Amino acid sequence: MTEKTATALGLLQKQLNQPLVAALEVCARCGICTEACHYYQAEPVEAHMPSMRAEELRKVYRSEYDWLSKLFPAWTRSEKLTDEKLAALAEMAFTRCTLCARCTINCPMGVDTPLLMTSLRAMATATGNAPEILEMLADAAVEKGRDPSSYLDFFLDSIKDMEKELQELTGNPKASIPVQKKGAKKLYVALAGAHTILPVAAIFDAVGEDWTLSIFEAANYGVFLGDAARAKAIAKRIVDEANALGVEEIVISECGHAYYAMRWTAPNWFGEEFPFRVRSIVDVIAEYVAHDKLKLDPTANPEPITYHDSCNLGRKGGVLEEPRLILKAVTPNFRELTPNREEAYCCGGGSGLVANPDVIDLRMLTGKPKVEQIRRSGATAVVAACENCRLQLGDLSTHYGAGFGVTAIADLVVKAMRLPGAQGTVEASMTNPEMEFEKVGK
Amino acid sequence: MSLLLLTQLLAAAALLFCLAAFAVRLRRFLSLARPADRSQPRGSVDAGVAYALTLGMMPWAKESTRRHALAYLRGVGFHVTVFLCLALLLISPWLELVPTLVRNTLAVITAAGALLAFLGFLSRFLEKSLKALSTPDDYFAILLISLFLAAGAAALWMQVLLPIFYVVSSLVLVYMPLGKIRHCIYFAFSRLFFGRFFGRRGVYPHSQQEVIA
Repeated sequence: MTEKTATALGLLQKQLNQPLVAALEVCARCGICTEACHYYQAEPVEAHMPSMRAEELRKVYRSEYDWLSKLFPAWTRSEKLTDEKLAALAEMAFTRCTLCARCTINCPMGVDTPLLMTSLRAMATATGNAPEILEMLADAAVEKGRDPSSYLDFFLDSIKDMEKELQELTGNPKASIPVQKKGAKKLYVALAGAHTILPVAAIFDAVGEDWTLSIFEAANYGVFLGDAARAKAIAKRIVDEANALGVEEIVISECGHAYYAMRWTAPNWFGEEFPFRVRSIVDVIAEYVAHDKLKLDPTANPEPITYHDSCNLGRKGGVLEEPRLILKAVTPNFRELTPNREEAYCCGGGSGLVANPDVIDLRMLTGKPKVEQIRRSGATAVVAACENCRLQLGDLSTHYGAGFGVTAIADLVVKAMRLPGAQGTVEASMTNPEMEFEKVGK
Repeated sequence: MSLLLLTQLLAAAALLFCLAAFAVRLRRFLSLARPADRSQPRGSVDAGVAYALTLGMMPWAKESTRRHALAYLRGVGFHVTVFLCLALLLISPWLELVPTLVRNTLAVITAAGALLAFLGFLSRFLEKSLKALSTPDDYFAILLISLFLAAGAAALWMQVLLPIFYVVSSLVLVYMPLGKIRHCIYFAFSRLFFGRFFGRRGVYPHSQQEVIA
């Protein structure tokens, strides 16, 4: 046994709790989950069967914990962990599964495949087998939390500039983007870039919300690594900020994994219930719409518009009806994808895949079922409440020449608010122009 | 000692082994941590668990089982008859007290279960993806269960065949906690965790999917 395999197996042992052992033991290898996976839908090969992927970890588990497998490994096809096997498992966990849980809801046993793959990711990360880009992004976020002063002045300057844009957009010369405001009700945690700040600031301005902008970004790459320590460190920056400001709730930008991390997982990393509420901005906007706090003109968005359910926000997060309530209020031409809500297909970009330039061909391949869904809907614009999904959908639109635009919920809301500075229609796809790929498989 | 008594004792010993081995497994499992979820619930955990253990197992509840309703019902059918056959094993010493009509009806049901199980065995050979996924343990387990059900049906039909049923039952009971069949004790837990997860998030049951504002 090498040092790496010993570390990986040590971590597996440490992670073995009731939910993980149940997921490892309960699979009857019936294969009924097979077609639930968007990888398999895109490319029906055995390696893309969710049960086959999970089986790779089970083989190792059985070789360590099942005496029948220890005596007769061929009987249960168990395998000892080697460095090569570990590298292959790591590659699989980081690129061949987006942790979307579609197989879980389609499994008669309810096998928690994302839990298995996350455990594998943790083993891979602990042994230096994780994608370098995810490591770098997670480390950068942790570092930023250690010393915010290194970028705070620059951040505040850019917010001042953004405030001017906000005033032009809203036509309100007093519109502001408060930062580090003590006692504010809401701490809004955005992503990098003005596109997740300005529209939300305009909405907050319109309803007179008492809010403040976080000096940190919502993204949490520690989650993708399966590294609870780093994920906690990244979340801690925001939790500490919320506690210091005494806010009533943290509101997470339109970002699936950031919402999932802060809403559902972070309290468990900290081992305590948070003294504040955690919601998605989608929940908050839906509340405004439900209580008629926003004046909306749906004719501002006349295009056929559909909604892509982010796995982290929808199936794994429960934010299923709120986006629909909003979209029906901001467009007269909303149409559903089929299937949708908790049965929606993953776009193929989740769980850190969008950040990994090495897997773009795979991303384009596995996003094909989503493109076909969108084509069937006849929509020319797709709304997604998740940044990773939007990037992936934009890439898919370009790659397959599908011609649909991609936008966020808040953008459509702002358009429907008919603000003096809002112009244009939903036409620009958010495709990352730096990504290049061959147009194949149309 | 008669053959019947001898095989009955064999089955009783196997049953004791099975129960003891499962008790050890269960104890080990329950000694593991069950992480507390400290997130603020969006839906009802109890409703999610209730759904996971009832309506969530209906053939129409999942896309996969809607698409493969026959395969799913085949699986459900043979699992139900396995439990029926285990119950038969327990009451078998008093089988002659069961009315003939009931015995014959049970024999038909159990025989159908054996057929369903054997079809499962065949499908592992014939379906390419299932074949790739299957281990010798899978083939052996389902073949053993097919035999168990067939022997149960035969014993119900003709009590003179009870010794064969006891021998096959003994094999099943000894293998149960060791091989793939042991998944049965984890099933309820897996569905429980599933229900807790999706219930807490307000995803299942579907009635929880509403705007929270």
